[in-house]
This record gives sequence, C-alpha cells and structure tokens, in this order.
Amino acid sequence: MLSERELERYDRQIMIFGKEGQEKLKKAKVAVVGVGGLGSPVAYYLAAAGIGTLLLIDEQKPELSNLNRQILHWEEDLGRNPKPLSAKWKLERFNSDIKIETFVGKLTRENIEEVLEGVDIIVDCLDNFETRFLLDEYSQRKGIPLVHGAIEGTFGQVTTIVPGKTKSLREIFPSVREKGGKLPIIGATAGVVGSIQAMEVIKLLTGLGEPLLNRLLLIDLAYNTFDVVELR
Amino acid sequence: MRITVRYFARYRSLVGKSEEELDVPEGITVGELIEILKERHPVLKNEVFAEDDDLADVNVSRNGRYVRFDEVLHDGDIVAIFPPVSGG
Repeated sequence: MLSERELERYDRQIMIFGKEGQEKLKKAKVAVVGVGGLGSPVAYYLAAAGIGTLLLIDEQKPELSNLNRQILHWEEDLGRNPKPLSAKWKLERFNSDIKIETFVGKLTRENIEEVLEGVDIIVDCLDNFETRFLLDEYSQRKGIPLVHGAIEGTFGQVTTIVPGKTKSLREIFPSVREKGGKLPIIGATAGVVGSIQAMEVIKLLTGLGEPLLNRLLLIDLAYNTFDVVELR
Repeated sequence: MRITVRYFARYRSLVGKSEEELDVPEGITVGELIEILKERHPVLKNEVFAEDDDLADVNVSRNGRYVRFDEVLHDGDIVAIFPPVSGG
C-alpha cells in the first residue's frame, strides 16, 4: 500500500501509470551494476521514481577525474567512500521511503548468485564487456531482464535484453575487443544514456510504452542523431 | 549497384562525414563492402578495423536491421556501420 506521503510525492507520475504502476515500482528490486557515469543518473532517477529497493554495486572509490560525469560522487568522497556507499548516503537523504542496499566489490562467477539474489531487473552501467557478459549469462540463466547501456565521447547505445524474447548481449556483440585505457566522455552523454536506461526499467516494471526489445538505440549527441537498429 | 553507407560514432569522426553513396559490384556481401571501405578510408583500416581482420569490432545494419558479414547487399541498400562502445 502507498502512504499519503507517497501518493503526493509520486503524484505527477501516478498520472501516467496509475497507483498500480507505482505499487509495482515500490515492490521492485533493481540492481545498478557500476555506480559511475551511467550508474549515477540511473540510480538517481530510479530513486526519484520510487523503486522500492536499489542494489548498488561497484568496487571503486571516486577519483577527481570521475567528477565530470559521476554526479552522485562529490569532492568529499574522493579516495574515501566506495562508490556504492557514497551514492547511498545521498540517495537516502533524497528519498527516505526507499531502501538502498550496497555491495562493495567486483562481481565474479563465484559471487554473482549471492549478490544478485532477489533482483527483478539488472541495469548494466559497467565500463567493460568482460563483466557485462557475466551479467548477461546470469540474466539468461535466471530469466531476469538486463538493461544494457554504454557510452564513449558523445556517443551512446541502449538495448533491453529479456531472456526468451530477445537476443542476449553476447549474441548482439559476439566478439567485442576491449580498447582499454582512458576513454573520452562528456558527463551529459552519460546523463542522456543513463536517463534512457532508467526509463527502460520503469517501462519494464509498469508496462508503459515499448521497451527497446530487439532494438538497439544509437545516439550521437554531437550530431543530434538518434537511430534505432532492429536486432531480429 | 549503388548503396548508401552511414557512419556512426567514432567512424563518423574518422571518415569525416555521416554518409556517402557508393557504386559497388553487384551482389557483394557486407564483409566485401567492409574491405572496400578500408581501401577507401585507410584511417578505418589503421585505427579501427584490426589488421588480422576478423572484423570483430564492427557492427553493421542493412536497411535498419542488424546483419552478419555474409549478408548479401542489394541495389539501393542503406548500410550503417557502428562500433560497440564499452564505457560507463
């Protein structure tokens, strides 16, 4: 049941998907894997939307050069608070009606079952394909949706994997070679792509609109291009 | 036959334009088109597509549908090439 306070807080979006939709968000547990450039806007907007439980996963502490894009981390967190804890502190003060869980560490084949136990949707905010494929395998094995996002420079891509309905991430990108090193990135690119990922989660949970199933959205903000490629 | 090639993300920056029309031999495959593009834009060959050339780093769509490298092209096709990006 939604409280009076929740009904008021979420009034403008209950106008879109109803109290039933808001209840679904409240009941959901969503994992944000990677609390960096993408993870910051994803976690922020999912907290704003009233997702009942957010699980934040990252092993790093924020560094100064992260702050052009990782807006959940502040100067006071540098080198001190691991990213999930830094984000939890802000998100709990932003929305005290939701629960923020954290895992400080790297996801591995050995711990993934335990860490992601009970999660309804996984949001891929990672910076490498090695761990992405680990998430993909888990998503396929458990039948849990995976919202993929990735960014570089002014460019980004988003697609939503639903096991049984869509291709897996591995099928879409069968042999990715990691470039490694420092990638260029403008914070606003992460903001746009992360916001679209957050929308995908809300769409999956409430049934609103059409998630990017078997569709890959390609965005280039330098040239104002938004293209959708059919993956079937 | 005549096809349109569209470049996305860093390919667009490297080639210096968003798209171009090309006359190519009848019935070539996506893989053969990639070879033509490498000749035409050496910057792609040097900086993006690997020398050993398993084309691993290139994604291709034909008329808005994601395709493999053995897909045969037809007159009037619009082919888009884009790199997978990995940052987060």
